[in-house]
Amino acid sequence: MNARQRILTAIRGSTGAQRPVAVIAAEAAALLGRPEVARPGLAAPELREAFALKAAAVGTTIDHLDRMAEVPAAVRRYLDAQGLPAAVALQPAAALAGLDWGGIATHPDIAPDEAVGVGLAEWGIAEGGSLVIHSGPDNPVLLAFLTLHHVLVLREDRLLPHLEDYALAVQDNPQPRNAILITGPSGTTDIEGSYVRGAHGPGFLHVIMVRDSSDL
Amino acid sequence: MSAAAQPGFKARAAAELSNAALKVAIERTTGNAERKRAAAVAAFPEFDAARERGRAIKDHVIAHLDHYLEMFERNATAAGAKVHWASDDAEARAIVTRICLDADARLVTRAKSMLGEEIGLPHALADAGIERVETDLAEHIIQLAGERPSHIVWPAMHRTREQVADLFKAGHHPPPAADDPGTMVQSARRELRAKFLGADVGISGANFLVADTGATCTVTNEGNAELTTTPPRIHIVTAGIEKIVPSTAHAFALLRLLVRSATGGELTQYTTFHCGPKRPGDADGPEEMHIVLVDNGRTRMLGDEFREMLRCIRCGACMNHCVVYRQIGGHAYGGTYPGPMGAVLTPVLDGLAASRDLPHACTMNGRCAEVCPVGIPIPTLLRAWRRRSWRAGLENGVPRLAIGVWAMAARRPRLYRLASRVGVRALRLFGRRGWIRSLPLAGGWTAYRDLPRPAGRTFMEQYRANQAAKGARR
Amino acid sequence: MPAKPNPRVGLFVTCLVDAIRPGIGFAAIQLLEEAGCRVEVPQGQTCCGQPALNSGDDEDTARLARQTIAAFEDCDYVVLPSGSCAGTMVHAYPDLLARDPKWAARAAAFAAKTHEITSFLVDVMDYRPRGRRLDATATYHDSCAGLRELNIAAQPRALLSHVEGLAMRGLEGNDVCCGFGGTFCVKYSTISNAIVTEKAEAIERTGADLLLAGDLGCLMNMAGKLHRRGARTRCFHTIEVLAGRADGPAIGEEG
Repeated sequence: MNARQRILTAIRGSTGAQRPVAVIAAEAAALLGRPEVARPGLAAPELREAFALKAAAVGTTIDHLDRMAEVPAAVRRYLDAQGLPAAVALQPAAALAGLDWGGIATHPDIAPDEAVGVGLAEWGIAEGGSLVIHSGPDNPVLLAFLTLHHVLVLREDRLLPHLEDYALAVQDNPQPRNAILITGPSGTTDIEGSYVRGAHGPGFLHVIMVRDSSDL
Repeated sequence: MSAAAQPGFKARAAAELSNAALKVAIERTTGNAERKRAAAVAAFPEFDAARERGRAIKDHVIAHLDHYLEMFERNATAAGAKVHWASDDAEARAIVTRICLDADARLVTRAKSMLGEEIGLPHALADAGIERVETDLAEHIIQLAGERPSHIVWPAMHRTREQVADLFKAGHHPPPAADDPGTMVQSARRELRAKFLGADVGISGANFLVADTGATCTVTNEGNAELTTTPPRIHIVTAGIEKIVPSTAHAFALLRLLVRSATGGELTQYTTFHCGPKRPGDADGPEEMHIVLVDNGRTRMLGDEFREMLRCIRCGACMNHCVVYRQIGGHAYGGTYPGPMGAVLTPVLDGLAASRDLPHACTMNGRCAEVCPVGIPIPTLLRAWRRRSWRAGLENGVPRLAIGVWAMAARRPRLYRLASRVGVRALRLFGRRGWIRSLPLAGGWTAYRDLPRPAGRTFMEQYRANQAAKGARR
Repeated sequence: MPAKPNPRVGLFVTCLVDAIRPGIGFAAIQLLEEAGCRVEVPQGQTCCGQPALNSGDDEDTARLARQTIAAFEDCDYVVLPSGSCAGTMVHAYPDLLARDPKWAARAAAFAAKTHEITSFLVDVMDYRPRGRRLDATATYHDSCAGLRELNIAAQPRALLSHVEGLAMRGLEGNDVCCGFGGTFCVKYSTISNAIVTEKAEAIERTGADLLLAGDLGCLMNMAGKLHRRGARTRCFHTIEVLAGRADGPAIGEEG
């Protein structure tokens, strides 16, 4: 017997005969019934406000825009406020590449010590102020990790209330190699429990929320 | 490493108790964790319902573990990952080492995984001549110190910032400019960045294995996991078979419990699902993904009285709230997993004979079970080990004899009353003015505290005398 | 759960109270009688079995369980001045005898009628002490078994609030173990000492005159440590104060 058979045989020796798959699936689904009784409520009635409150609480900074076209100017404001040069690694996503970046020099590659990366969030989740990114041809994972400042554009129509809503929203799509929920800038409490930002990933997470992305 | 190869538990505990710096370090980390967890639970009125749900999810998975493992294997394979199965630690080590050697790997980065520690992966890689770089900050600290984790969430919690500064000064090039945590973290960031990008293989653990997608899930704060799993050519996951959940939504239900119980946060900074290797056209990611599913005693637990321990989601709340752990720290336990959960698991992994002290070195105060996010009755499980130890004859000598004599008397009420009467009178001879300062055979007590001197006559004597007097008056 | 009038209550004295501090047993009788109970002390009792239980010796524990159950079979209730012994009877006895066809039902019935004394007085008898006065400050330690196995927390505090002149002071870590743990405190005495040292420090920081708790084992541990440290804190079982007996010698004082 190989290890796989040994393990499965040992399990079946203890758990008994397998029940019909449909019965197991129904039981699993029932365990998720009425999710509202077992999860925290939102921080505010409105999604954008609930998201913003939670995101701010974990150290994410937030800017609000009306339209996608305003994104480059908002990035510029952020760079200026942080005293950063006008050069960013830009996610090669159509929604961002199609914008007029004016005086900001954008590049697709991510240097090992990249100062700023600008990307597009796939989803926002209001429950904990999380942003979701999916890896893909137009989204290198390292943009979110090698950079010191990670700037994510979040379209408000991509806001979801709870974690389960995200699971539901993506369940019929092919799973990407990486689906990453980002909740605040990188941090550690490994030295005497004291909190330090920017352990390995970004020390700064800045979200630009766009109310109306129909100009995309 | 087995507990038997080290000095005994009592000797280790005594050594740690005399380490004043350790006490300070433990108190800072666990005290913080305790306060923050309490605040997080207070801010989550649905916590008890969530906990009940988490327990039910784990029990459901454990009852159908074969079904979910096969489902996971199917979906992970379909996503392009290679799934391996390991019956024990040796098989798991051999699989991982073989993958690394076949790939001519020289440099391996590793994101913190307690399972990796459990199966002895660090030593196995070293023995195979492969450079291993721990990327979690705490693991980086203990790698520099040549130590093992002392806590499952904060592996370096036994180290004060001054001690970390010394390690970094010797181990970082250039050394950090100052010894405040901020400067030291930046130094580690610089030091490790080249390693992340130069590694041939990245090894991570998994907090969840999602059956219906075939994804593995890591839950981290630093971002080191993604930097470990993305740049190298090969990503290897080692995970215990009990980490399975039916779906992503089930993982989320447990995630809410895990993070609050571990750190008092609501979510970690990064909750990442890894599903297969890099897809065609993907901008980055590994070309191969291997998942090693490890049994190492878990199927045995499934069949015995320790089954409930398979619910454990490794949050560490039990140790943060344990009076014993908070005095002696994690290394004294001698196994991979310290604290209350470790006292249940170490006898499974290292054998009861080598670790029989662990289930006994507990006051049975129940606080671990009270804070456990999946309702594991840890004291009951420790009691089960005590029962096995008693039956196996591992509890010997004077204590066993004493229990035998006492139990013989306790089953004979008249004899017991007589023995008590004689006993309290004898005991009074050792004391003066209310207290006994030193008592033969009770040095464990009187070395550290005084013993109240018995009042003189037992309750039963006095009560029976009163009753007799009442009867005479009537 | 309202009690029937004048229930027949069997007092389980506990071995520590029997040997070390009989006054706690008499305080229990006094309070139970004030609450309207007919109290008896069945002579078939010895020890609840915890030393064996905590050593892993289930066979001897089960023997003692059967003996104790039989000794109290005629009583409406079994009451103990100890959360830890009561917890053993309420939880361990039914577990140990669950597969014994002759004893499973008896053990369950016994567990259902067994109570720690402060919870019995409040929850079953709806009793509050009257006319008690004690001009002192006191702090209270929640003994673990009573707190976590039997949910005893509000009842002793409710009873103590009826003692006039008694000012309660909060204890930091009131729900944290004192390090007693039965045989633990001698088997792992260095660890136990470290734990009880912190407990004693917390008690001393309250500046209270009295330390109260509901389990004599924990009290002996804390009182013994406080005395060794030279602290002046006087230690009593909660029910000694409730019965108006705190004018007598505290634990370790001779009258």
